[in-house]
Parts: sequence; C-alpha cells; structure tokens
Amino acid sequence: MTQAFDTQNPPFDRLNQEEASELRAAVDIGYYAPSTTVIASGSSSEHLHVIIKGRIEERDGESVEAVLGPRDSFDARAVVHGAAGSTFVATEETLCYLVPKPLILDLIRRNVGFGAFFYQEVSRKLADFARRQETEGVEQVLRARVREARLHPPTWIDGDATIKDAAVVMMQANNNALFVRDGARVGVITGMNLAKAILLSGQSHDTLVRDVCHFDVISVDAEDFVFEALIKMTRHRKRRLAVRSEGEFVGMLEDIDILGLVAGNSQLIPGRIDRAHSVEDLIEPARDIQEQVDRLERQGVKVEVIAEITSDLNRGLFSKLYELIAPTSIKEAGCLIVMGSEGRGEQTVRTDQDNGLLLAAPVPEADLARFRSDFSGALSQFGFPPCPGNVMVTNPQWSQPIDDFVRQIRSWIMTPDEMSAMNLGIFFDAVCVAGRPDLLTRAKTEITSFMRGETGNLARFAKAIDQFEDASAGMFTSIMASVGVASNAIHIKKSGTFPIVHGIRVIAIEKGLSETSTADRITALVNGGTLSGELGNDLKGALSYFMEVRLRSQLNAMKTGRHEEEAIVRLGELSSRDRDLLREALKVVKRFREVVRSRYHLGLF
Amino acid sequence: MPILSALRRGIDRLVINDPEYRFLFRRQETDEAISLDCETTGFDPWVDDIISISAIPIKGKRILTSEAFNVVVRPDAALRAESVKIHQLRLKDLEHGRHMSDVLPELLHFIGARPIVGYWIDFDIQMLNKYMLKILNIRLPNPLEDVCDLFYDRKFANAPPGTQLDLRYATIMKDLGLPDLAAHDAFNDALGAAEMYVILKDMKERGYRIPRAKDDASPFVGVG
Repeated sequence: MTQAFDTQNPPFDRLNQEEASELRAAVDIGYYAPSTTVIASGSSSEHLHVIIKGRIEERDGESVEAVLGPRDSFDARAVVHGAAGSTFVATEETLCYLVPKPLILDLIRRNVGFGAFFYQEVSRKLADFARRQETEGVEQVLRARVREARLHPPTWIDGDATIKDAAVVMMQANNNALFVRDGARVGVITGMNLAKAILLSGQSHDTLVRDVCHFDVISVDAEDFVFEALIKMTRHRKRRLAVRSEGEFVGMLEDIDILGLVAGNSQLIPGRIDRAHSVEDLIEPARDIQEQVDRLERQGVKVEVIAEITSDLNRGLFSKLYELIAPTSIKEAGCLIVMGSEGRGEQTVRTDQDNGLLLAAPVPEADLARFRSDFSGALSQFGFPPCPGNVMVTNPQWSQPIDDFVRQIRSWIMTPDEMSAMNLGIFFDAVCVAGRPDLLTRAKTEITSFMRGETGNLARFAKAIDQFEDASAGMFTSIMASVGVASNAIHIKKSGTFPIVHGIRVIAIEKGLSETSTADRITALVNGGTLSGELGNDLKGALSYFMEVRLRSQLNAMKTGRHEEEAIVRLGELSSRDRDLLREALKVVKRFREVVRSRYHLGLF
Repeated sequence: MPILSALRRGIDRLVINDPEYRFLFRRQETDEAISLDCETTGFDPWVDDIISISAIPIKGKRILTSEAFNVVVRPDAALRAESVKIHQLRLKDLEHGRHMSDVLPELLHFIGARPIVGYWIDFDIQMLNKYMLKILNIRLPNPLEDVCDLFYDRKFANAPPGTQLDLRYATIMKDLGLPDLAAHDAFNDALGAAEMYVILKDMKERGYRIPRAKDDASPFVGVG
C-alpha cells in the first residue's frame, strides 16, 4: 500500500509486479535523528534501508567513505552477509524505508536479477575496499565542505549603479563577479555580462547594473559538500555559485576554486605571489605552499611531482621577495641563488634555507646589510627554518662579490675537509632564482674546470659518499635480520638519499653537467653512456622511494611535533610491502656506492 | 479547552451504549500513536461523507506502514464534483466500499486507546464523530496530536509578533525536507503526517527549532 515506495529505483526495478507489491506491503519507515548510528561496522541489520529523506554518511573510523542520499540503499553486506563493512551514521533528520531482511533474502532467492545486484554490490564493495587507498585523494576532496575551498569574499553593488561603476568595482576588488542588491532582489553581475552588454549588444556605459545582471542566482550552503557544488554547476551550467551560510551570502565559489582544492591550490598560488605588494602579502601564499604538500601527498601525487611543484612555487616566492626588498644597487649587480635540496628541486617539507647572493661588483655595505637581514627575516616569517650550516645570505661567505667567491671556491677545493666538501656540494646544486644567472654559471664553471684538472680533487670530494657508510652497512644487515622487529630504526637521509645524491653529483661535476636535479643528472649520465640504463632506473626508483618515505615521516613529524625524528624510519612501523621496498632500495645504494668507489679509486684513500 | 473535553469524556464514558468499547477510554503511557487521515466528499462535516480512511501505527521512531489500516467507504451523501477532482475517486470506485457502520468497529479496535496524530486532525475527528455519535452515542475520546501545533511550536512559538504564519501542509513538508507524495489519498496524507510527527517530536526532544530563515521574507529563490 506504500505507493510512494519507488520500485523504479534499482535494484527494485528488477522485481515483477507481484514481487513489487509484496515488497510495498512489507516495508516500514524508520526515523533517525542526526548523529544516530544506524548500522555499526561489523554488525548485522534486520532491514535494508532505502533513504526517503536526509543524509547518511558511510564511515570507516573517522573518515567518510561515502555520503548517501534519497533513493540510496544500505547496507547490502549487513543484510546479506550479516556484517556491515562500515558504520552508517545519520547526519540529518533521516527517514528510511525498512525492507525486512527475510523478504530481501527471499527475493534474492526467487529473482535472479535482483539477487545478482546484491551479490554484485557486495563484491564491488569488497573490491572497492582494496582499491580505496589509491583513490582516496580525489574523493576526499569531493567530500570536503564548500567552506574549505578558497571562497571569494562577496563584493556588493547597487542595482541602479552603472555598468561602468561595476567594472571599476570589479577591478578594485579584483573580483570578477559582484553581488547586486536591487531592492529585495539579489542578483549577480559578472565580467562576462559586462563584456556582452557592451561588445555584443552595444549598450552604453551608463546602462544600469540591474538591466544587465541576472537574478536567477544559484547558491550552495557553506556546509554542503564540494561534489554537491560541482553537480549544481554542471546542472545549471554555471561556473560560479553563490555561497550562503545561515541565510547570508558569504562569498562566491568558482569552478577554479574546486580545482584548487583538488590540486592543493598549487595553480592559484603563483597568481597570488605575483599580485603581492608587500612582504606581508606573501605570508599567506608562503604558508599555502607548505600546506599543499600535505594535501598533495594525501591525494596520492608522486613525491617527485610534489617536490617539483613545491620548488617552482618556492622559487617564485624568493624571486618576488627579492624584487620587493632588494635595493637597486643589489638588483643591478646581484644573483640570488638557492642551493642544496632546494636547488635540486628535491625539497618538499621545508627543512632549512640554503640561499646565497652573488654580486657582479661590490655594493654599498649598508644596502647589503639591510638586504641580508630583510631577506632572512622575511623567510623566517614565511616559516623557513634557518640553515644549521649557516648557508644563508646573512653569512658574508654566501653573499659576496663573484671574484671573492671564486677564490673561496678554490680554497674549498684545496682544503680536504668535510666542511669544504659540504659547501661545494651544496653550491654545485645551486640555481639562480632572480638577478643575473651569468654569475652562477661562471662560478660553477670554475668548479668543474678546477675539479677536473686534478683527479685527486674529485676523489677527495667523492670520498664523502663513505661518510655514513658504517651506519648504513650496519643498518642494512640489521634490516635483513630483523624483518618484523620494531626496535630498528633507519636514517633515511644518511643511508639512502645522501649516497645517491652525492655520488651522482660527483659524476655530474666530472662530466660538467648543467642539470641540477638528481633525476635529470641520472638521465644525462645514462644518455652519455656513463651509467647503465638499468642502474639509472634503479637509482631513480630508489631515490623516489626514499623521498616518499621521508616525506611521509616528515609530515608525520609535523603532526606529532617530534621533529628530531623526521628522517628516522622505524622498521616496525612499516608494512611488509614497504619493508621489502626499503630493502631493495638500500641494495641499490650499496651497488651504487661500489660503482663510485671504483670509479674514483676510493679504495686507495 | 481541556476542562470541557475532560467533562465531555467523562460524560461519554457514562453514556456509551456499548460497553465493549470501554477500552477506548483506557489511558496508559505509550510510545505508540496512530496517524489518521480521512478523505471526504467535501469540507462540511454536517453534509459531507467519508470516502476513505487510512490509519498508520507509529511506534517510537518507526512508522509501521506494513500494518496500516486502509479502507474505502461507501458514502451516503452524493459524491461532489470537486472531491472527485481532488481524490480521483469516482462513485464507481466506491461501489466496492463498505458502509461506515461496518468499518467503524474495526477502525476503533485498530486504534484502541492510542493517541491520534494528523494534519488538521480536528476535521477528521469531527467527521468520524458524526458516525460515532450515531452508532455509539459518544465522540472519539483519544488524545489528539496535531502536527500543525507541533510545527507551530518548533517554528513560530518564539516568533516576534506580526510574523507571517504559514502552516500549510506543503510548507511543513518542505521545511522538514520531506518528498512530496504525488497522490493525495488517505494513505499518503496519513503517511505524510506520520513522517512530520516523528521528526517534529524528535526536534522537540532535542530542543531544536526550525530556523525562520530570512529568505522566507525575501522573494529571492536561491538554491536551484
């Protein structure tokens, strides 16, 4: 008799008339108050629920796996297999049809098509569960709330303003869509409306806003899910939606903002950096650069890509900062460089700031002093920790005229100590982010020609690869011995990343390569026949794996505040798959270390 | 007028001409109720007749549609043209209907002493009382819960004077986010009232008030 039960809604559309009326006669309706758990994970259910109104979240622990709305049914597993795979919680006042379990089981038995749907449903969910980890990223974004996107704050204009006024307001507010207040009506006017009015309809600049804007404003609530906004945009063919919160307009959501949420905002940051008029304007984009790292990682973006995006953004940030604060004397003579992992484009989470300034000619001491303090002051405001090795523009060693700096390089090459090797290594990875790149090229050419002139120099430099060798070998053996043992820890940077980066760097100097990223250097060395293709691939794979593990542990350290442990990986915390990968990656390091040793006859030292 | 209705109940209890129906007066604490709706030939209880009745039990937060009582009644009064339009029932459809004298005892046994829920329930009760008085010499003594009152209480109880009241069926459905049921028959209307009832009762328990959004006053239709 419940005519309202929609038997056209799958899987019920597979029932014949008689079965459908049997079903209709048997259903009851259940009401669930907000935050009621309808079915707990692992428990069985006496009914199949079909939502009439309201919203049910399917949760796995804290994370929302799916949001169910009217006509959706749940949970086939709880009914058919007696154990729900997730927890189902009402998040609004929710009404559901309750189809009794015995009837469902009976219909599954009698009606093959209906039954197939249910078993399919169950197996699909099991398959999904296995796949879930990989696809989590984008879905998680779609399940973000509208308020989490970067909304454009609302800008208002009166309906009886002219469209010329509107254009001025748009430009001043840097906002291409304005809310229009026209008596009790609310409308929206966009740049496109203006363009159409003037260019296509040939209307005058004095045309009133109310005659050009549209009043069929489509809006979403700030608490709505992003996917709901996306659906609305598609359905109404709108690129923008008005956002409301508690009845008030709180902003405008553009499709690009949703994209921004998906890609961690990275494509929006450059524009904000470009538009900055002061160091303060840069603080927010600088923070966003760091925040998107975590988001990109969660979305399953490959670590090399994250590092590349992050480096590009950081370089844009440095360059803008330089433009804002460098005095004219420095702008004319200077070359701002970033070095080390920042230069190689392999830094994701900010560990330190390795930067320097090369000058074509001496500049007034007062200008230089002010620049040094302004620059590093701004960077620490942006959240870059100072470099422990003091490789920063504040250190006169790293901000001096090029002639003096070249003398400095020679003395590092001639001085066989760890500090010199470290400085050379960091510098050889430098890239110019602002100013005169020719200064950097000159300094680097100096290194390669000087190093190559004397094999001993290169070998001394290469020797650093053995720096942490003992620790690494010990770790390696212990890994082999201790799969499954929790007490072992490994220093990813010393045992994994450093030997690869440094070994490749030595060969890159020998070959005079201009590439700075380790992966690019490997490619160049393989193409030049110096490394075998196989070793090249293994090295890239291993490096990428170390970076990924390190990134995860850095993000973890940021959350737990245990920064001293950010490069430490505890074997006990790894899955067996990860342990296997780590072991393979460390084997590659060992193999490569031998290649470097024999190439530079390190055995003789 | 609680005193008046208590008095009336007391009298009815004495004057009831069939002691079998004393159970109607039995009061007990219960989480059960009956959502009731009658379709009629028109809106004048003195002239018009009932043509169908639906009664749906509610137990706690469950609406037991599977146990609903549905009946088509053969009216005494002539079927009016308007109600044919409203209910899409023709006299021919009612030929299979049963007479009220036959239906009423069954309905009363079904309802028992449970409170009766409905939208503008006074009207349905007045209609039923016409037959009640004729057959049993009493009025329906059950406690009544009108979803209009519950809705008023959740939405307008603390409203400033002069607030425009809107207690229309469609408005309540919309405010509670309930899907509009296509056909207006007794069952769907009783079901709608039952749905309103469980939600509004829960809102009352939680102390939740339905926002009187500012957009109620604005002609702007935002959400598409």
